[in-house]
Amino acid sequence: MTEETVFSLRGVSKHYSAGGTEFRLNVPELDIPRGIKLAIIGESGSGKSTLLELLTLLLRPTECESFQFTPVAGNASYDVEGMWRAGAADQLADLRSTHVGYVVQSGGLLPYLSIRDNINLSLKLLQKELGGVAEKLAGMLEIGAQLDKLPSMLSVGQYQRATIARALAHQPVILVADEPTAAVDPINADRILSILTELADEFGVTLLMATHHLGQVKRLGIDSVECEFEIRNGRTMIASIPPLGTGA
Amino acid sequence: MKLTDRFKYLDRSKLMDPKQRHHLRLIAELAARDYRHDWIMSTCYILALAAVLMPLLVLFGLKFGIISNLLEPIKQDPRYREIVPVGSGNFSNAWFEAMSARSDVVFIIPKTRAIAATMKVRVPDSQVGRIIDVEMIPSAAGDPSMGAELPGPGESDEVILSASAADRLGAQAGTRIEGIVSRTQNDRQETELIPLTVIGVAPAGAFSRNGIFVSIDLLTAVEDYRDGRSASGAGLTTASDADPDRMYAGFRLFADEIDNVETLRAELARQGVDVRTKSADIELVKSLDTNLSIVYWVIALVSVGGFCFSFGASLWANIDRKKGEFSVLRMVGFHTQGIVWFPLLQALFTGVLGWVLAAVAYFVVQVALNAMFMDNLGAGQSVCRLLPGHLLLALLLTLVAAITAAVLGGARVARMEPSSGLRSL
Repeated sequence: MTEETVFSLRGVSKHYSAGGTEFRLNVPELDIPRGIKLAIIGESGSGKSTLLELLTLLLRPTECESFQFTPVAGNASYDVEGMWRAGAADQLADLRSTHVGYVVQSGGLLPYLSIRDNINLSLKLLQKELGGVAEKLAGMLEIGAQLDKLPSMLSVGQYQRATIARALAHQPVILVADEPTAAVDPINADRILSILTELADEFGVTLLMATHHLGQVKRLGIDSVECEFEIRNGRTMIASIPPLGTGA
Repeated sequence: MKLTDRFKYLDRSKLMDPKQRHHLRLIAELAARDYRHDWIMSTCYILALAAVLMPLLVLFGLKFGIISNLLEPIKQDPRYREIVPVGSGNFSNAWFEAMSARSDVVFIIPKTRAIAATMKVRVPDSQVGRIIDVEMIPSAAGDPSMGAELPGPGESDEVILSASAADRLGAQAGTRIEGIVSRTQNDRQETELIPLTVIGVAPAGAFSRNGIFVSIDLLTAVEDYRDGRSASGAGLTTASDADPDRMYAGFRLFADEIDNVETLRAELARQGVDVRTKSADIELVKSLDTNLSIVYWVIALVSVGGFCFSFGASLWANIDRKKGEFSVLRMVGFHTQGIVWFPLLQALFTGVLGWVLAAVAYFVVQVALNAMFMDNLGAGQSVCRLLPGHLLLALLLTLVAAITAAVLGGARVARMEPSSGLRSL
């Protein structure tokens, strides 16, 4: 683990079963360098979302040798595994609210808040100055005119942009996007992805993005790692994330 | 990882308080906005609660109103606190002293034999010159049947007329009247005239026949005269020397409150004194109250229980509907405790608003019912009424019921896997 690593995982796995099928995600070794823009490529059900939920501290790993999270370079690392074991869910929630921005496939906005209030939600939770962040982000994402509308009044593309604005408003260290363009038409999808990477550069965040479109990733010129995927006995699905540099 | 670092996040108490308060404020704001945004659902909950609560308020108001109407006169009317001896007995001064020392006795005065306790009265300077027979009733300051305004006969020439006697004589406070007492002594008819002053007229309920409330001195003097123990012309209004060994045939006795009538009756029965009370009337109203209360609380318990189940079930289902929203709250970093407050607060909103609606609807019904029964009610009486305390109690019980119903939903939110609901969105 170097200082340049945001996440450092060793021997992490997550198991669950659904509908008689065993699912298992193995992450033998994963170091996410600070500032990287990384696409995790894989088919649906290959464990991309599970990996992202582990990294956003939403999901507790089933087995874990070590799980270090270093949000700020040079500062203390957090022993995420230990926090899960100690039941420190609130501490994990605090880390998440301070350092992580999360863009989900669809949804992710509170239906009863205006777009502006949705974008400001994390700032309010952290008791930070609002300072026109929502307006600035909305302008960059071309949804400035939608700020006072409720999410239900937006198109799918606008909604997804608002989700990105919400995820970036509190200036997280790491931005996680789980198939952010899955529900959007291809032209909008390309546009949203390029804005996402531009914003990641501008805000200097580490970007982790799950997608099954290798082509888009290639066009954006960002690093990628591919989930390895196998089915054993027709009932057990095993997904593995290879160490970086050995994948794509 | 050093051991001390591991303890860093175990020590929660340091960081939590102000932050938790802030989270809770924010959650309260979000819960309120969601409640308003989801107004159709909220309105349904409020109406459902009010529909259960309003009839319960009306039922309780009716029970309370009717029982109050039955109980109020009993509490006000001193006759319900009176204990009347049956037949005549022998009661000593010592007995009266012992009885008046009891805390549950508010007034006690000796009575002479009924046969000796009558006289004729007239207004001497009246043209009518009507003479009427009156029964003499001993009285004194503090006699409950006199009401608050009348002091009771103090001097032995002061009397209070019953309403009907005053009416017949055309007398009022200040009228000078004359009492006429006769006896047959040695086959000779003797008559004594006693000058008296009317100091007041008793309330209509105090004595229904022609009666005159007199001091105990006058009453015993008249008895002595009738019995031939005192000489003619001895001056009946002057206080006779109190005979410490004198025995009295009866008494007028009032308990301090209706609840003590039964205790006193039992005590007198133990002493072998037969008495007549209105205990049965009091007990009737009380048992009516008890039985109505039982019926009421059974209805209330069943309805509120039913409401709790249906409200709880729909809140439980609502958690599923809002799974995505709860996941967003977790994703953004709200603590579990804060998120659990979300459904609880919304249940409290429903409780308060449902209660307000039920109370408003109740008042409409109360006004209508009281107007409907106005002809059958006395002044200040109402067939349906609630005290502010009753409404506050209803609010308290409603909130307890709402929280009880919401607790399961809250527990379900707390147990929810943080990421569940994110992918299904």
